[in-house]
Amino acid sequence: MIGGRRDMPLNRDSTGRFLPWLIAVMVYLASLATMGALTMTKIANEWQSSLTGQLTVQVPVSMPAVESRDAAEDEQVQILLALLKGTPGVESAILMPLDEINQLLEPWLGVVDASASLPLPRLISVTVSPDAPFDMAGLREELQSAVPGTTVDDHQQWLNGLLDLAGLIKLVALLVVVLVGLSAVIMVVFVTRMGLAVHRQIIELLHLIGAHDAYVARQFQWHALKLGLRGGLIGLLCAGATLFLADHFVSRLQASLLPDLALTPLDWLLLVAVPLIAALITLITARITVLQSLARLL
Amino acid sequence: MVRFEDVALSYGDGPNVLQDVSYQFAPGSFHFLTGPSGAGKSSLLRMMYLALTPTAGRVTIFDRDTAQLKRQERAVMRRRIGVVFQDFHLLDHLTAVENVSLPLAINGESDRATRQDVAELLAWVGLKEHLDALPPTLSGGQQQRVAIARAVITRPALLLADEPTGNVDDRIAVRLMYLFEELNKLGTTVIIATHNDSLVARFRHPVLRLNGGHLAVQKQENVAAARLTASAVVESQAT
Repeated sequence: MIGGRRDMPLNRDSTGRFLPWLIAVMVYLASLATMGALTMTKIANEWQSSLTGQLTVQVPVSMPAVESRDAAEDEQVQILLALLKGTPGVESAILMPLDEINQLLEPWLGVVDASASLPLPRLISVTVSPDAPFDMAGLREELQSAVPGTTVDDHQQWLNGLLDLAGLIKLVALLVVVLVGLSAVIMVVFVTRMGLAVHRQIIELLHLIGAHDAYVARQFQWHALKLGLRGGLIGLLCAGATLFLADHFVSRLQASLLPDLALTPLDWLLLVAVPLIAALITLITARITVLQSLARLL
Repeated sequence: MVRFEDVALSYGDGPNVLQDVSYQFAPGSFHFLTGPSGAGKSSLLRMMYLALTPTAGRVTIFDRDTAQLKRQERAVMRRRIGVVFQDFHLLDHLTAVENVSLPLAINGESDRATRQDVAELLAWVGLKEHLDALPPTLSGGQQQRVAIARAVITRPALLLADEPTGNVDDRIAVRLMYLFEELNKLGTTVIIATHNDSLVARFRHPVLRLNGGHLAVQKQENVAAARLTASAVVESQAT
């Protein structure tokens, strides 16, 4: 039995009967919001780490007949590759094969040889050393003077937009967790005050026998903890099931932009911590509510 | 031990239920408190177990002015006071043993450690067969004995009993009085409010009589223990 002696029949109260279910809903929402925030962090980190130090050089498209175009482009590509490989800080510069470009276009154009029928630009994938000093503006100028019309994309504009979105989603998730926590506190305060009113006579007796306010508060706090743990466990199980299903469906989507949603041990630890934190909040809230209410009695 | 100085008490805007009460209960004394219903016996006791503060005057217990006590100090002082309430105030969801061990639990002692002592005391008051009975299953007299056991289990410095023998037969009443006397011999100051004149007559202790809110010493056996102050409304009958 948690917390030892029970001098008040709090277990038989109708006041706290719905508290575990409300806590369960709160823990469920807080768990999903927490996992949502974690997933967004994971996605943002993956995007950032995969794109940091990566540049894409786009060779301008020329519009004459395909044969002459290919020959001209090959020459331009070789000039750019030589220039890139000679640039300090550039680790590698690889011409992206046409097959790979076709694959990138498959979601929009289907399985066709797009490069044969469309004036697609040639792409050079460049990896920059994270440690070496690197002059991005200088490289841009050099490439454009070597082959006019060449563009360099460091993905920052796209990445910044996605990171802002991910940050916003994380903020909303955090807000949900905070609101859920506040709601839980308000509920516990309400239920505890109801309990104090219901058991007023017993509390008066305990005081007359010599009980400190803390003795009375302990009875309420352990009861609240028990209800909080019970509700938290239900909420945790529901959240776990939901995340399992979500992971199952995401893995079936095979969407390359979405990371693996499978929970890591650390994620599980955090998920388990949510109901424990909720139970701790109920305990502390009940204690403070009782102590403040009793202090106003005399 | 307990001193009343020009004490008056009223509830809200009502008339005084106690007035000009001045008296000192010496440490280790044993007093009966008598008087008709509504005379203020329970109110006087309630001031002594710190449930009420006087409207006027001063009540001093254990050398502390009760009106000046802080909330936590009241709790500490109440642990030195055993109270037998007129309507028992037992907790219906707790067994007899759990009810009696309540003051010990409040003092921080574990139920396991105190169960033996509690069981022995309950056996002494004739409830050996009802240790784990819930109060609603006990008779009025049995409940009263549980309440008495709860009041004395901590061997309080001050024992206040409001009609402690009102629901028991004479044989049990006398037995309970012997229990109070034993405690008194161990140093507990005992004050018993009762209507039971035959019981009062049987034990030779000072008798205080409340009438119309005024306190008077009716019988003063132990002059050293009871001192009537000049301002008290006196109606003493020395025996």
